[in-house]
Amino acid sequence: MHNNVVITDCGDSGLIARAVGLGTEEGWQLVHALADALDAVQLSGVHGLVPTYDTLLVEFDCTSTDHDTLRSILWHEAARFASAARRTREPRRFVVPVVYGGEHGPDLPEVADQLGLTASEVVDLHTGSDLTVRCLGAPAGAPMMDGPPFPAPIPRLASPRVRVEPGCVAVAGRQAVICPMPSPGGWPLIGRTPVSVLDLRSDPLTAYFPGDTFRFVAISPDEWDDYADTPLAACHG
Amino acid sequence: MAETLVIRTPGLTTVQDLGRVGRSRYGLPANGACDQHSARVANVLCGNDDRAPLLEITALDFACTPSSDILIAVTGAPADLTVAGVLRPQWEPVSVRAGDTIRVSNIRQGLRVYLAVLGSFEADYLQGSCAPDTVLGFGTGLNTGDELVLPASCPPVAHPFSGIPLFRLHAPVPRLSSPWTIDVTDGPDRADFGDTGARLFAAPFTVTPQSNHIGLRLRGDVPRRVTKGEILSRGVPIGAIEVPAGDELLVLHRGRGVTAGYPVLAVVTATGLSALGQVRPGQAISFRHRTLDQAITAYRAQRNAVDALRTRVHSAFAALRIPVPVCS
Repeated sequence: MHNNVVITDCGDSGLIARAVGLGTEEGWQLVHALADALDAVQLSGVHGLVPTYDTLLVEFDCTSTDHDTLRSILWHEAARFASAARRTREPRRFVVPVVYGGEHGPDLPEVADQLGLTASEVVDLHTGSDLTVRCLGAPAGAPMMDGPPFPAPIPRLASPRVRVEPGCVAVAGRQAVICPMPSPGGWPLIGRTPVSVLDLRSDPLTAYFPGDTFRFVAISPDEWDDYADTPLAACHG
Repeated sequence: MAETLVIRTPGLTTVQDLGRVGRSRYGLPANGACDQHSARVANVLCGNDDRAPLLEITALDFACTPSSDILIAVTGAPADLTVAGVLRPQWEPVSVRAGDTIRVSNIRQGLRVYLAVLGSFEADYLQGSCAPDTVLGFGTGLNTGDELVLPASCPPVAHPFSGIPLFRLHAPVPRLSSPWTIDVTDGPDRADFGDTGARLFAAPFTVTPQSNHIGLRLRGDVPRRVTKGEILSRGVPIGAIEVPAGDELLVLHRGRGVTAGYPVLAVVTATGLSALGQVRPGQAISFRHRTLDQAITAYRAQRNAVDALRTRVHSAFAALRIPVPVCS
């Protein structure tokens, strides 16, 4: 039975496996378990694995391996998933100070309007629970999290910003993220953290991994300097 | 004292390699040479590892001078390559004497030229690669007076009659021509576009100036997504053709962020991506539909040709007693 995953060709050098018929949590576990399995077999030619919320992108060199080989490995591992022991890595928890609204979160009023809430209600929801990191994504290892329990998904900006500053805290759809490096971005910005998200010389690059959680804490603009340049790695708690 | 390659005219040149592989799970894009085929061939012609650092010269004239005798190979877009003022061939190894100036000028038709040196040169690495990552701010362009350290030299390989090309290794030279034909296969979200998906092949698209190694923006009669609903962020491959809101197609290239939320209409083939790395803003692209089998066959043929070249290079170097560099 391979009915928990749908595998689609994605060009001459890629495949996408999507979890189906599973809950959010289990589907996410499945695609990350598939990525772990491919990592473990060290198949020649596989050079990119991007597990996210409910999908896994596999990129490979089609002179070294092929779609059929990868498809059969993925099916095999997906079938094993139901019986296999689940990942046991102990999640870490990061407590991250954020200045909400104003120049640090210019889209907070608009997000509040879209949700029919006040700005402080939006902040309360964003800071009110631990948010789970589901994957590391664009740009540059950004922690992509489940969004806070907002009453509705958040639309992306009609016109993306050319530059989003590092530390910006954004929400879109049912997702939340911290932007680690300056980059263009189309997600509404509700706040910004003074802590330093990435240390470019550390390997692996990020202090956080899928499964870890972030708890955001509101601070006032006056407190910015107290946290400026604190590495995120020092913010677990 | 270390032997060096001194940069005289930097143009738009970076130290480059084939990219940062295996880090996409950590959110890092591959980056690396935009025309992977030309970059690979340049290193192969120097007997180097395919992944050795080399120079990627974009659009503008470039010049440098080595302090020792070296062997170089220049591939990519057609250009005028001169050594000490004498025109030399691209796509073949070229001997350069200490103090001679290597000049690459008049880059035409395509956009990027690759210059490899036998034994390569020392480079800074980040996460396993020297490829620049503009989002991380790693790997800046070269400046006048910069010196690249050369770990190996190569005694002059002299032909008794000057001006006659010494090597005839018949490297696989790609056809570079505008209007460009770029091969694609169906993307995973082809069905989201209904009948409008066929527009991709109906008429050419024009590359806009807002195009770079991260992605190319194309103007034309763009297909439209006919389904609604939000897409959770997910991995998107290099070569993905996305259709954001607006009047442009987005073709993701080597610097692309690993996740995105737009539907993927089509995916550029592996051979098509190297060609796309040569397309200039303002030029026109026609997309050509290929099956997966056709695309894979074309790429395997291209790589087999490079493998055969590698064998010829090693034979020629052995005959000429040129030491093949040992690269890490």
